[in-house]
Amino acid sequence: MPFEPLERGLLRLMQIHGAAIGGLLVAAAAAGEAVLHASLALPWGLQIGPALLVLVYLALWSPPRRYRAWAYRMDGEELQLRHGIWTKVETLVPLDRVQHIDISQGPLERALGICSLVLHTAGTLHSQIVLPGLARETAERMRDEIRARIREEPA
Amino acid sequence: MSDAAIADRRLHPGTIALRFVKEAPSTLLALPAALAFTSRTGLTGALFLAAGLAGLLLLVKWLAWRRFRYGVGTAEIVIESGILHRNRRSIPFDRIQDVDIERTFLARLLGLAKVRIETGAGGKDEGLLDSVSLDEAQRLRETVRARRAGAAPADAGADADAAAGPAGSILFEMDVPRLILFGAFNFSLVYIAGLFALLQTFDRFLPFDIYDPARWLGLVDEYLPHRWTFGAIAAVLLMAALLGIVAGILRTLSRDYGFKLSLDGDRFRRERGLFTRSEVVIARRRVQLAQVDGGPLRGLFGWAGLSFQTLGAGTDRGGFQSAAPFAQRSEIEGVLAQAPPLRLPPPALIRVSRRHILRSAATRLVPALVAILALSIWARPALLLLALLPLLAAAAALERRFHRYALADDLLFVARGVWRRRLWILPLANVQALSLSRGLVQRRLGLATLAVDTAGASLLNAPRIIDLRLEAAAKLAAEISRHRRAHASGRKSGTDK
Repeated sequence: MPFEPLERGLLRLMQIHGAAIGGLLVAAAAAGEAVLHASLALPWGLQIGPALLVLVYLALWSPPRRYRAWAYRMDGEELQLRHGIWTKVETLVPLDRVQHIDISQGPLERALGICSLVLHTAGTLHSQIVLPGLARETAERMRDEIRARIREEPA
Repeated sequence: MSDAAIADRRLHPGTIALRFVKEAPSTLLALPAALAFTSRTGLTGALFLAAGLAGLLLLVKWLAWRRFRYGVGTAEIVIESGILHRNRRSIPFDRIQDVDIERTFLARLLGLAKVRIETGAGGKDEGLLDSVSLDEAQRLRETVRARRAGAAPADAGADADAAAGPAGSILFEMDVPRLILFGAFNFSLVYIAGLFALLQTFDRFLPFDIYDPARWLGLVDEYLPHRWTFGAIAAVLLMAALLGIVAGILRTLSRDYGFKLSLDGDRFRRERGLFTRSEVVIARRRVQLAQVDGGPLRGLFGWAGLSFQTLGAGTDRGGFQSAAPFAQRSEIEGVLAQAPPLRLPPPALIRVSRRHILRSAATRLVPALVAILALSIWARPALLLLALLPLLAAAAALERRFHRYALADDLLFVARGVWRRRLWILPLANVQALSLSRGLVQRRLGLATLAVDTAGASLLNAPRIIDLRLEAAAKLAAEISRHRRAHASGRKSGTDK
């Protein structure tokens, strides 16, 4: 079974997040620069420059790569996730280990028509496994499928 | 199931005294400090304030005691608590794993015991009765046992019961000589730091300020010129070491005195403690993995410690329960035999990739190099530190020597650590999730880290196989997954988790 990519909406979400954080950073740098330039006579761009680079990284460079790195695969027994551009991580969750499942959707995600599937296991390192960027129907179908695998016994 | 239980019992009134004594010092000790900062009312004012505070504390404790009730019904135990915000909790008998009893030194003087009703749902104080009389504690335990025995479901782990010894048989004990030996290995200078911390707490009662650097420097100036000899330094070091050993022995004695691990049906029962006597029950079914702790020195004499990682039980060390803190291999084997499928690993464990040395050295070399170069800008002689860098490589090589793993039937063994040698024994059936991660350097070298997640693991202390060759890691992950699937399908109707 091949790995499946996530919805394009996730890419948008990553870009918006990156732009927001990077933008804040640039704004802070600009403010700092205005102060320092006046008081210390430092050359322009000493702070804005790096901040702009971070903005480019967060909003333009990394989102498509991070988005492409994401993939998942679910068979009847396990859910497999793949993500990460610097450190590549592959996670494998046996479905009968899932304690409960959430589907979560923030306001931005709702606008973009995506949601996240959150699997809770009894483990510690992976007590929460988040699969973002799913279409609502896909997430609901997966949830029902996983729910069918979870045994009745409560924790 | 049946009608609701009535919360008709109260904790032992001695509890008020117990809690008061426990909390009063911390409240009252802060008083002089608070007073000194606010005003100068003198000794009478301080005494008055102290008395008032003590009275208030006593009142709060009394209220809490008054508003705390519990009761035992036919199907559940109920606990009602809260001074203003009332809370009623009911714990059904069939959810109760067991009842733990703990008695601090003070509680023993008063004939009290702290009862913890263990349900296995996280390490919270969900069923804490602090404190009741010892008789009541034992009565509660008997009640719970009787109810549970009556409704005990036939466990799926039938194979687990086959190996069960006779009820109440003692699996492991430690006598005083062994405790002293164990304590000597537990040598630690941390206790000296602890002494200093204590001094700090009470420094307002000391005639001098221990944090007055001028004074210390003065002392050094005064004594050093005469005493700065090799012998003096050796003596000081020897004293420190001796103090560390004595502290280790005392701590070990107070914690593990009368250590006894016994098997009672499908549970382990552990008793220990000199001042605070605790009795903890570990259900065999709840054991997620075993960890064997060793060290280079104690390993030389064949000593190691065994602990179990349990699913949401009272924790003494992040989900770990010590089962045999200082034991010989054969003794550990004996305990593990009672917790199938756990067993000690085959003698031949596999080492991780040779490139582990490279990566481990590289990841340390770079920061070390940067630090040394930066330092050398201010102080040229720092460049001499470069001579120490090969040591990093040696350390990395040593690290690989002790980082090994093996997959044998239904168990995964992982060993890691040079100074603190840990061996994890993990039944594949308890694997919660697997993850394979490859960092930047690891990808260059074709390596991967395999992390195996289990219930109740601590974040830092989880079995991780670092720097496997990628193919080996993928194969291992696939093997674990395959094994788990086979196990899961063979146990479709099972109830354990």
